[in-house]
Amino acid sequence: MASPSRTYMVATDVGGTCTDTIVFADGEPVRLGKSLSTPPNFADGVLDSIRDAARSMGMTLEDLLARTKLFVHGSTVVDNTVLTRDGARTGLITTAGFEDTLLVTRGAYGRWSGLSEDRIKHPVRTERAPALVDADRIVGVAERTDYKGAVLLPLEEAEAERAVRALLDKGVEAIAVAFLWSFYNPRNEQMVRDVARRLAPDVYCTLSSDLAPVPGEYERTSTTVINAYAGRITRAYLDSLSRLLVATGYDGPLMVMQGYGGLLPAAEAAERSIGMLECGPAAGVIGSRALGRLLDQPDVIATDMGGTTFKVSVIQNGEIEYAREPMVDRFHYAQPKIEVVSIGAGGGSIVSLEPGSGAPRVGPRSAGSRPGPVCYGLGGTEPTLTDVFMLIGYMDPGTFLGGSMRLDREGAKRAFDEKIARPLGLSTEEAAFGVYRVACAQITDLIHEITVERGLDPRDFTLHAFGGSCGMVAGIFGAELNVKRLVIPYTASVNCAFGLVSADIVHEYSTTRVLPAGTPAEDVNAIYAPMVARALKDLAAEGFAGDRVGLEWSVDLRYMRQVHEVQTPVRAATPLDTAGMERLVGDFEALYERKYGKGSAYREAGIEMTMFRLTARGLMERPRLEPAAPGGSDASAALTGRRPIFVEAAGGFRDADIYDFGRLAPGNVVRGPAVIHTPITTIVVQAGQRGTIDPYRNVIVDFD
Amino acid sequence: MDPITFSIIRHRLFRVVEEAVITLKHVSGSAITNEGHDLMVSLYRADGSLLMGGVGFLHHLTSASEACKAIIRRFEGDIEEGDIFLLNDPYTAALHTSDIYLVSPIHHEGRLIAWSACFVHVFDIGAMNPGGFAPDAQDIFTEGFSSPGIKVVSRGRLRQDVWDTILNMVRGPEMVALDLRSMIACNNVARERMLALVQKYGVETVDEACRLLIEQSERRLRERLTELPDGRWQSRQYLEAKGETYRVVLTMTKEADRLIFDFTGSSPQSPYSVNCTKWASLGGLFAPLFPLLCYDIVWNEGVIKPITMIAPEGSIVNCTRPAPVSVATVGAIQSVNNAACATIGKLLAASERYAEEATSVWHANHFAIFMFGRNQRGGLSIGILTETFAGAGGARTFADGVDVGGEIPNPISRMANVETIEATFPIRYLFRRRLVDSGGPGLYRGGTGMELAIVPHDAPDGGLHYVISGKGAKFPQSDGLGGGLPGAPNDYVWVHTPAEGADAGRFALALDAMPGEKQPVAWGVYPLMGKDGLYVRWNGGGGIGDPLAREPAAVAKDVVTGAVSTEAAAAVYGVELAGTAVDVAGTERRRTAARRWRLGREAAE
Amino acid sequence: MSRRRISQTLTAGDGHVRCGGCDHALAPVNGPWKQAAALSERTVASLPGAGLGTDPTVMLRQFCCPACGALLDTETALPGDPFLDDVVVVRDGTP
Repeated sequence: MASPSRTYMVATDVGGTCTDTIVFADGEPVRLGKSLSTPPNFADGVLDSIRDAARSMGMTLEDLLARTKLFVHGSTVVDNTVLTRDGARTGLITTAGFEDTLLVTRGAYGRWSGLSEDRIKHPVRTERAPALVDADRIVGVAERTDYKGAVLLPLEEAEAERAVRALLDKGVEAIAVAFLWSFYNPRNEQMVRDVARRLAPDVYCTLSSDLAPVPGEYERTSTTVINAYAGRITRAYLDSLSRLLVATGYDGPLMVMQGYGGLLPAAEAAERSIGMLECGPAAGVIGSRALGRLLDQPDVIATDMGGTTFKVSVIQNGEIEYAREPMVDRFHYAQPKIEVVSIGAGGGSIVSLEPGSGAPRVGPRSAGSRPGPVCYGLGGTEPTLTDVFMLIGYMDPGTFLGGSMRLDREGAKRAFDEKIARPLGLSTEEAAFGVYRVACAQITDLIHEITVERGLDPRDFTLHAFGGSCGMVAGIFGAELNVKRLVIPYTASVNCAFGLVSADIVHEYSTTRVLPAGTPAEDVNAIYAPMVARALKDLAAEGFAGDRVGLEWSVDLRYMRQVHEVQTPVRAATPLDTAGMERLVGDFEALYERKYGKGSAYREAGIEMTMFRLTARGLMERPRLEPAAPGGSDASAALTGRRPIFVEAAGGFRDADIYDFGRLAPGNVVRGPAVIHTPITTIVVQAGQRGTIDPYRNVIVDFD
Repeated sequence: MDPITFSIIRHRLFRVVEEAVITLKHVSGSAITNEGHDLMVSLYRADGSLLMGGVGFLHHLTSASEACKAIIRRFEGDIEEGDIFLLNDPYTAALHTSDIYLVSPIHHEGRLIAWSACFVHVFDIGAMNPGGFAPDAQDIFTEGFSSPGIKVVSRGRLRQDVWDTILNMVRGPEMVALDLRSMIACNNVARERMLALVQKYGVETVDEACRLLIEQSERRLRERLTELPDGRWQSRQYLEAKGETYRVVLTMTKEADRLIFDFTGSSPQSPYSVNCTKWASLGGLFAPLFPLLCYDIVWNEGVIKPITMIAPEGSIVNCTRPAPVSVATVGAIQSVNNAACATIGKLLAASERYAEEATSVWHANHFAIFMFGRNQRGGLSIGILTETFAGAGGARTFADGVDVGGEIPNPISRMANVETIEATFPIRYLFRRRLVDSGGPGLYRGGTGMELAIVPHDAPDGGLHYVISGKGAKFPQSDGLGGGLPGAPNDYVWVHTPAEGADAGRFALALDAMPGEKQPVAWGVYPLMGKDGLYVRWNGGGGIGDPLAREPAAVAKDVVTGAVSTEAAAAVYGVELAGTAVDVAGTERRRTAARRWRLGREAAE
Repeated sequence: MSRRRISQTLTAGDGHVRCGGCDHALAPVNGPWKQAAALSERTVASLPGAGLGTDPTVMLRQFCCPACGALLDTETALPGDPFLDDVVVVRDGTP
C-alpha cells in the first residue's frame, strides 16, 4: 500500500479550542486543515483536522497519510491534564524534614504568582492552588546530601522500601522523588527508583535529578511532581495516537513538540510529559522565527490574538527568550520553556465598565466560543471585543468564516448600547472607538513591557500578527510602538502547526557546577565531555550524525552576590580555549548590561558560572517554499466594494476599500484605509499604511 | 475628561510604577529586594501627595509622600530638573535608617509636575549591628547614617563627594552602592516614562486625569465607608523587647464616611529600638488599609483624606528624638499593622455586605535575623533569613487562612529555597516545615506558620553570628476574629549542644531531638558556632469563629495533613478521632462538655 | 424579628446585642456587652500551640453566650488589662 511517493510533511497542533493542520510538499502549495479539538480524546480531533486538509487536496485521510513521510505533533494534552486535575494519583518521596517544600511553595509565592495585578491587590480573596499531591501522600526519608554533593547520610535500602510501600498502600499510580541537592549526587534518588521498579514495576517513577538537575528544591520538586502526575496520561495519549496513525495508513516517525521549541521522538516525549507543556505557543514562536529568517528579518515581535488571550514573544536576531519562572496553571516548574507572555484580551473578551470608576475595560473575562460574542447569535448577551470590531466596520457580517455564519449586527449594537455606550453617555460609534483604543493601549503596554522594559527597542523589530483577530488591531499598536513593519503571515490562522514543521529535534542537557569565571578552559571542557558524548549517542540512535548534528554550548553566569543569572551562548569554537573563555565572560557582561541596565553589574564581587548547558540538534529536513513571481501592484481585481470603517487617524468613520484576500496576487498593493477579508481572519490597513502581498502570500504592512 | 483617555492614562501611570519596580529589582540584584520584595516605588504629585502607589511594602506609601514634602520644604528654590534626593531620617519621614528613600522631581518644560520615590532595604547603614536592625542601639545616633534630605544627584550629575561620604559610613560599601544605583535607575525610568506619557497626552490632560484619579479614589472610599456600619472597635498588641512588655492600643472609630485611628493608651516610648515615629505609624495603619478596604480603588491621596490618626507624642507609636527606631519595621510598626488589620477586620465583619472581605490578623511577627560571618568560600556573607517573609494567612469568614500564605502589608513576598541559602551561608538546615498547631483555631482556621533549625556546616571560622530582633515569642499577636483564637506565638531557641553526644542531633527532625540546653533568645547578637543550633518557629494566622463549630471532617483532615495535632483536635476543637475518621458520638460528647465548661458547669479536663 | 449582623458571631435586634447562634439577648445595643457574657479564661501557655518562650501570665479570654455556650469573642490579655470594647452603633434598631 505504501506508494513510492512519500512526499508530504504533515504537522498537527492540538490547541484548547482548535486542532490545526498544515501540509507541505516541495513544489506544491501549502495546505491548511482545521477542526475543533476533542478533549479528552484529543487523538480523534487530530484525525479530523488532517482529514480536513486532505479534503482540500482532493484526497482521503488514508491517502494523505499513506503518502506522508513525516508527522510532527504538538498537543495541549499535558496542560489539559493539569488544568482539569485529571492526572494520576501521585505520591512524593522527599528528604525527611522537608516534606512540606511542595506544599508551602516558598511562602506566599504560590498564592500570588500567576495572578493579575488586580487580584494581587486583593489578598483576602486569593488562595494557593491545592498541590497535585495530597499532604498524606508525601513521605520523608532519612537521607542527606550537602551543597557540594557530599552524601552526609546515605539512604538505606530498607528506608527506601518503607517509603515506597507506604505510598503503594495508599494506592498511588505514580511516584515523584525529589531530594535536597540530588542534582549534584543522584545516588540516593536512584536507589528509590531501583526499589520502586522492584516492588511496583507498573508505577510511573520520576527522579528530580533526571528531569530537572538544577538548584532550587521547590521548583525542582514541583517539576518532578507535575511530570509524575501527567506521565501516564501522556504516555497513553502518544501510544494511542501512534496506533491510530498506523491503523490509518501512516508508516513513519512521530515527532512531538516540546515547550523549549524542539522536537523529540514520541517514545522519548512520553517519558518527559513536562516537556510538552505550552508546546503549542512555543511552536508558534519557532514558526515566527522561521518566517523571520525566510523574510530576512530576524528581529521579530510575534503576536497572536485568539478568542481569549493576546500572546506575545520576542525573537532577537533569531534568538529566542526563555521564561525565567515557568508556570502551568498555578504551578511552577523548572524546564527550559520559550517565553510567551499573555493578557486576557482576545476576540471573545468581555467589554465592561469597571464598577465604581465607570472606566471601560476589556477582559479578563471571556465569552469563549460558547456563548461567544453577541453577534454570533449563540446566546451571548455581554458585548465582546469581536462585537466592537463589527460595530466599527472591521468585520463584515456577511463574510465571516467564508460566509458560513451570518453575524447579528443589530443584536451586538443593542447589547453594546445598553451595557457600554449609554452608561458612558456616548454614541455607539464613539464608545466603540473608545473601547477599541483601550484594547489597543493594553496590548501596546504589554508589548512595551517585554521589549522596552528589557532593554529592547521595538523600532528594531518586525511585528508578526497571528490569530483570527490580530490583523484588526496590529495596525494601531504596531504604529504606536513604531515597529519597522507588520507582517500578517499567510499561515496566520495555523501558526503553531507551521512552527512544528520549522523545528528541529532538540535535546537539552545541563550540569550544575559553581565555578569562578577564571576557571581553566580544560575544566569546563571536562564538564561538557560526558554531555557531548551522551548527546551524540542519543542523536545517533535517532538517525542523526555528521552535518545533521548541531551542538550549542551555553553557560549561565552571574555576578557573585547578585541573583540574576544570564544564560550566555558560547560563540567561540568548542572545546573552549583561554580566549574562548574570555569571550564568554565578555559576552555575559554585555548581555547583563543590556538586560538589567547600565550600572547594574557589581564586578568587584567577581563573576561565577553556575550552569553548563548543551543544546543538541538533529537537523530536520525543511519544506521548501516556492516564492511566486510578483505581479503588478494593481489590486483592483480583488476589490469587492467600499464601506465606512473606523480610522484611527481621522478619529471616526471613513470610507475604506474592501478586498478579498483570495483574489489578491503577489505584488498587489493595498492602500489604507482598507480591509482585507480572508476566510478566517480580517486585516485592517489603517490610513497612512500600505499593504503588499509578498511572494509567499504574506501581507506586509508598511507605514508611510 | 473622556472616560477612554482617562482609562488609558490610568493604566499607563500604573505601568510607569511597574516598570520602575522591575528596574529596581534588575539593577539591585540583591536577595532581599528580589526574593523578599522588600521595596516600594510610587508616584507623587507636584505637591508630594500620593498619586499612584505600587505593590511593595505598603507602609512606605505615605511615608515617601512625607519625604517628598520634606524635600519640597527644605530645598525650596533649589529643586531642579534631574535632581535626586536621599532621605532616611525617621524623624523626618522614613521608617528606619536602613530603608533609604530616593526621591526625584519630574520636570516638564522647566515646571515641576510630579515626583517619583522608591526605597530598598540597603545592605548596611553603619548602625551598631550589621544589616540595619540594631537591637543594641540606645538612640538614633547609634543606628547609622541618617539624613533629613541630601542631594545625591544634581541636574543629572552624581555628587561624588556626597556619594563617597555615604559609602564611607557603611559596611559593604560596594553592595550599598549597588542598592543606591538601583534606586537612581528606578527614578530615572519613572521620570522618562512619565514624561513620555505627558508628551503623548499633554501636560494638562495628564494633570487633569491625576486630579480625577484622586477625586475618584476619595469618593469611592467615602462611599464604601458610608455603606459600613458606624461604631468603635479596639485592638491591643503586646510586644516585648529585651524582657520589657509594651502595648500598642488602638481604638478605631468609624463615623459616616470617616475613619479615626486613635492610639491613646499605648505604652510610653522604649529605650530599645522597637519604637516608631508618627510617620511610621501612619504608614503602618495604611499598609493593611489599602488592600483590605481599597482592593478595587487606586491607592492615592484620595484614600488618605478620609483617615485621621491620633498618636500620643512620646509613645511607642510616636516616639521623640533621639529614641532608637531601627527595629521599628518589625517592632511597633508591625504591631500597628496588626492592630489596624484587627479593627478593620471587625468593621468589615460587622457588615452583611462586606463580611467576606474580613480577615483575622496575618503573619503578626517578622523575625529579623541577620546572619553574618565568613562563608564556605572565604567571603563575607551578611543577609536576612528570608523565611521571615513566609508568614501565615489569617482566616476569612468563608475559608481557612492560607498556610504559609505571606502577609497583608507586603502582598507579593516569598522566601528563598533551602538550597539557595545553604549555598550562600556556611549552614545546614535540619528541617523546614509547617508548624503543627500554629494556625489560630476557629470555625475557619488561621494558616499555619513554619519551623526550622540550622547548624553550622563547612564554616571556615566554625560558624556564624546573627543579629536577632525577634518579638512575638512571649505573646501571640496574630489575633483571631469573632471567637477565633490567635495564631501560635514565635520561638527563637539557641541550642547549646554538648561536644560529646553531638552526633545524636546531626539529623534531628525536631527541636526535642536536638540534644543540649535550649535557651530562648530574642534580642541581640548570638553565636551559631561549633555545635550550636538555632531553632526558629513562627506564628500562624488568627482564626475566625468558634472552633467548636468547625466541621469535624475539616479537623480530621487537618490532623491527617499535619496542620493540627490529635491533642489539639480534642482539646480545642472538641473532635474525637478514631484513627483518621471522626468519632461522631465522641465528638458530640466532647463538644457538649466543652460548652458546659465555658459556662462554668463542668470542671476542666 | 429582624436581626442584623454586627460581628461574625453577634447580631442586633429589638434593642439588644444578641448571640448569633441562639438569639439570646446579651445587653442593650450601643454599649458594652462582654460583661454580660460568660467569661472563661485559660493561659495561652496551656494552649496546644504554645512555645518555649510563651509568657506564663498572658491569658486567652473567651467570651461565651451564657445560654448556649457558643464562643462569641476572644482576646489575649495580661491580668488587669480592660476588656476590649467594641460597639456597633445601632440607630432605631438598625445599624
